[in-house]
Amino acid sequence: MEKGSTKISVRQKFPLLVAEDDPVTSRLLEKKLKEWGYSVYKAENGEKAWEILRKPGLRIALLDWMMPGIEGPQLCARLRQAKKPRYTYLILLTAKDTSFDIIQGLEAGADDYMTKPVNFLELKARLQTAQRIIGLEDRWLQVQKKLTRLATTDPLTHAWNRRAIMRFILEEINRCQRDGRPFGLLMIDLDNFKQINDAYGHQGGDQVLRQVVRLFKNNLRTYDRIGRYGGDELIILLPSCNVYQTGTVASHLLELARKNNFNVRGRTTTPVTLSIGAVASDTLSQVNLDSLIMTADRALYLAKKLGRDRVIIFGDSVKPEIREKQNVRKNKFSSAD
Amino acid sequence: MSEKTNSLPPINKQEALERIGGEEEFLKELLDIYRTEFEKRCQELEKAIDEKNYQVIQESGHSLKGASANLSLPALREAAYEMETAGKSQDLEAAKKTLKRLKLEFERLEDFLNQSK
Repeated sequence: MEKGSTKISVRQKFPLLVAEDDPVTSRLLEKKLKEWGYSVYKAENGEKAWEILRKPGLRIALLDWMMPGIEGPQLCARLRQAKKPRYTYLILLTAKDTSFDIIQGLEAGADDYMTKPVNFLELKARLQTAQRIIGLEDRWLQVQKKLTRLATTDPLTHAWNRRAIMRFILEEINRCQRDGRPFGLLMIDLDNFKQINDAYGHQGGDQVLRQVVRLFKNNLRTYDRIGRYGGDELIILLPSCNVYQTGTVASHLLELARKNNFNVRGRTTTPVTLSIGAVASDTLSQVNLDSLIMTADRALYLAKKLGRDRVIIFGDSVKPEIREKQNVRKNKFSSAD
Repeated sequence: MSEKTNSLPPINKQEALERIGGEEEFLKELLDIYRTEFEKRCQELEKAIDEKNYQVIQESGHSLKGASANLSLPALREAAYEMETAGKSQDLEAAKKTLKRLKLEFERLEDFLNQSK
C-alpha cells in the first residue's frame, strides 16, 4: 500500500470536493486523492455538492457531469455567478461514450474536463495545474492587498493617507444623507511642532507625530478614522457623532495630549498641545466635502489665533430636529419636576 | 441476448488492479461497494420499469455503467450501457430484457470471483 513512489505529497491537506453519485468511482477517487495529500469532501448529489462548493476554503472540485439534482455544468455556471471571493478550479468528469459537449461544459465555467474511468496519472497532472492556478491567484491577491495598503496609508504614521481619509469622509457623507445619522470631523494641528523640529531635528519631529497618532488610535473607537492631511495636520472622522459628542471627543484628545509624555530617543520632550477645529454634520446646512474641510479649517485657524491648546466648533445652522430634541429633553425634565 | 452474455469476460482483473494501484484488498472493498450499489440500482430499475419512468432507467443505467467501467467489468458495463440506451429511447421491452441480462452478468461475476478465491 505505502509504496514510496505513489506517495507524493502535494500540499498539506488541500481540501478538494468529489461530487460523484456512483459510490465506486467516488471511493476510488477518494482513496487516490487522500494518498496524494488532499482532504476529500464527498457529495453524492448536486445539492450537497453546491453546499460544499460555496465554502471559501474549497478551491478544487471534481464534478460528475451527470448527477441527480444539479448536474455538473449547472454547478459550474451557478458557482461562477455566485462571485465567490476566491477562485475555485472546476474539473468536469464525464463517461467516455456519452455524447457530451466540451464547449458547453467550458462555457458553463469549467476549467478542465476528464473522461471516466479516470486515468490517475493524468488526474494527478491536471490537479497540479489546478494548484498552479490557485497559487497564482493567491499570490496576486497578496500583492493586491499589499498595494492597497501602500496606496492608502501614510508611511510615517501609519494613519490613513490624504486620499484614503477623503474617501472615508465622502462615504460618511453618503451614509449620513441616506440614514440621517450625523458624524463629526476634527482638523488637528500640533501647536509647537516647529519648535520640536528645531530642538530635536526632523527625525525627532517624526517620532512625536507618530506618538500622537498612536495616542489617538489607542483612545478612539475602532471605527473612527485617523488620517494625515498634511505635514503636522491630522483629520479625525467620527461616525455617528453629533455636535455634542464631537466636542466631547475633541476636548478628551486635548486633555490626553496635554498629559502625555512624548519621547525623542528615550528622553521626554517639551509638552505637546493641540489646536482642534471641529465640525459636525448636524450643524451644517450644506454637508459636502468642501464645506466640511473649509469650516473645520476656519475653526482651526481661530483656535490657533485665540491662543492654541483648545477646540473651536463651527457650524452654520441648527437643524430643527436638534432643537426639537433639546426641547423634548427640557420638557421631560420640567414635567418630572 | 445469450450469445452476447458469454462474449465478454466478467472482469478484467489485471486491468482493474492496475487502475486502482495494485491492491487486492482495495479491489475487494470496491467490489463490495459495487455489490451494494448494484442491488440498489436493480430495485430502482424494477420499480422504474413498472412505472415506465424512463428518466430513472437512463440514469441508473448510466451510473452502473460508470461503476462497471471503473472496476473493468466489461460485460456488466455493456449491459448497463444498453439499459441507459433503453431509457433514452423509451424502449420498455429492451429495458426489461436488459435488466435480466444485468442480473445474469452479475451472477457470472459472482461465480467467477468465488472460483478464483
